[in-house]
Amino acid sequence: MATATGGHRKGPRTGSGARRVRRNMTSYVMLLPFLTLFAGFLIWPLLNSLYLSLTKFNGVRPPEFVGLANFERLLQDERFMHALSNTLVYVLAAVVLTSGFALVLALAFRGQGWGDRLMRTIFFLPSVTSTIALFLMWRWIFAAEDYGLANTLAGWFGVDPVAWLATPGLTIPIMVLMATWSGMGYAMVIFVAGVNTIPEEYYEAARIDGATTWQQFKSITLPLLRPVTTYVVVTTMIAAFQVFEAVYIVFRQVSSVGGVLDSGLMIVPYLYDMGFTKFQLGYASAIAWALFLIIFVISMVQLRVGRATREL
Amino acid sequence: MNKRIATMAAITTIGLLAGACATSTAPAAEQAPTTGPADLTFWMTGSEDEALVMQKAADLYTRSHPDVKVKVSALSWDDGHAKVLAAATGKSGPDIVSGGLSWGIEFGGLGGMVDLREQGIPEAVKAKTQQGVWESITSRDGAVYGTPLDMTVYLTYYRKDLLEKAEVEPPKTWEELTSAMDRLQDDGVKVPYSMDWGNIDWLQYFNFLRQAGGALYTPDCKPALNSDAGVTALNYWADLYKKYKAPTQTAEVPAALANGVAMVSGGSWQIKAVDTAQPKMKDKWATAPLPAGPAGQGAFIGGRIVGVMSYSKHAAQAADFIKSLYTPEAVKVITDAAASRGVLWISPLTDNIGNLPATPDQIEAIKAAFAAGYGPPNCAGWETSQAEVTKKLQEVIYGKSEAKPALDAAAKIMEQNAG
Repeated sequence: MATATGGHRKGPRTGSGARRVRRNMTSYVMLLPFLTLFAGFLIWPLLNSLYLSLTKFNGVRPPEFVGLANFERLLQDERFMHALSNTLVYVLAAVVLTSGFALVLALAFRGQGWGDRLMRTIFFLPSVTSTIALFLMWRWIFAAEDYGLANTLAGWFGVDPVAWLATPGLTIPIMVLMATWSGMGYAMVIFVAGVNTIPEEYYEAARIDGATTWQQFKSITLPLLRPVTTYVVVTTMIAAFQVFEAVYIVFRQVSSVGGVLDSGLMIVPYLYDMGFTKFQLGYASAIAWALFLIIFVISMVQLRVGRATREL
Repeated sequence: MNKRIATMAAITTIGLLAGACATSTAPAAEQAPTTGPADLTFWMTGSEDEALVMQKAADLYTRSHPDVKVKVSALSWDDGHAKVLAAATGKSGPDIVSGGLSWGIEFGGLGGMVDLREQGIPEAVKAKTQQGVWESITSRDGAVYGTPLDMTVYLTYYRKDLLEKAEVEPPKTWEELTSAMDRLQDDGVKVPYSMDWGNIDWLQYFNFLRQAGGALYTPDCKPALNSDAGVTALNYWADLYKKYKAPTQTAEVPAALANGVAMVSGGSWQIKAVDTAQPKMKDKWATAPLPAGPAGQGAFIGGRIVGVMSYSKHAAQAADFIKSLYTPEAVKVITDAAASRGVLWISPLTDNIGNLPATPDQIEAIKAAFAAGYGPPNCAGWETSQAEVTKKLQEVIYGKSEAKPALDAAAKIMEQNAG
């Protein structure tokens, strides 16, 4: 049947293409609005930004083609390297903690009872709340003024006020805390879906064989959750690489982009700084493409590793 | 496979070529008749209150020019710069913008704003404004892309009760400031001094640099902050944090005073805010000029410029409206409307400082600060150097570097960005 169909498709070209187009015209017309938007708002800006990354462009005067000079500059730019190293540390910590806490929450609140549902809803709330509102709330929590919750709590225990947002050593930990708090609810929901697809019989069999809870988790839950874990890790990592609001809203008020001593300088805020503060839109586009390549390569490695470990 | 690669390459090439066409520059804006009707849009950087205040001046203008309507919208300081750049890039947006004192030079240099000399505004305004500010808004080639809209200056806000208790007078010099902080600490004041506007930033350092006799640039725009005066200023400023525990995280003047900080260096606009935000502070605080350093007084003068975007089709009407903002009637309308909203508006026309809605001692402090004030430098590359220079200064505050090498590195950054 397949051969017959294939043979039919490979038949005389004359007229078949036109017939196929006529036959599928309705589908094409229905796809057209999406394709127009997709091309206009995604493909076009992407290609334009790739072109701009090869130019010197200040936003107003015409771009001047400079070849790969912006990419060469990236390799010698100390602030970019600093932003890259900050970003890698932040991504590693945020991904590990978000995924870890999400898995713990998923195991704790995987049931269908009202208590579990309520807890899942509570932990999921940050995911459906405006990020601007969330980060303004964090800014207030760590404020130096008398309404700053963190220092108020510290004061109750006799601790002197802490300059939370102006202490370089606290910048990345605070950012990781914010990312974990706001991201673990969403990842938990994905893990719950994954955990609930694991057949209960596997656990019953393991219990009959005398497996402990830890052994069941290690030998059944974790291996069978591998595809879900890969998805959670990759999506969390991509979001972490693109961190912007946390730096822009929470730390920028303390000291320009990047916070004190650039302790919170990440790639996207640096890109913004170059593009919209320093008018170097060509260089900012090169940073954007460098970030794309970094995320692409790391995601590919993760997917390959995930596939390889599944085949073990 | 090869076919697919070839297709991808073709698409990318077409995209790059198309991209090249997409970002080409359009010709200069075609001008509408200079005396005809116009609907002007004005992006006012600042708060909603300040935009409403400016709308009063716009309404005043419309009463005498019924054909010209001006709609004022607030643009937050946080993203105002990016939005004006987006408007200049897209050649679409407001006819008139206000923003930081350096914005005119920046956007004008890019070709995004009109040189107001063509509209005759500088001649009408220059002689009446603070000269330090005027120098700051004038490009090196003499172009004026934005004229001063308002001014702010640094003042010392102090708690009268705490200073009296410690038997300390408001400090007039660095030595007196140091001695006052020691006395206040001995008297149990945990935080004798803090800084608000531009805390751990070049802005606060600028005050000390000027008081020590230094400058960011030489008159011919060579970086000069790594001079002996620059080192003296940086060491003194950094000691305020390291030795006297001035907070590195900023609390605004009203909150700092209410929290028991004895002296705060902050912007003049806070004069109206203290009693409003912290009613319990009423009659407990006062203002003074910043203490003088080894070379005398010195304070940064900030504020906003106002200018016309180069794509505006109504540049003549927009410029005429800007000119109207310097008439005595408009200044009075703006100052009164601002005061009714708890904002101290200081016109760039220095003759008006004596009529500010403030107490006589506050007016004296403001006058003294302006007399010894300096605006930001107008040298190429300063705007792009600020953040990195600030990080170098912070290295000294946080004990990561000595003053001289940090300032040398800052000077190098300024030199590189000068192009």
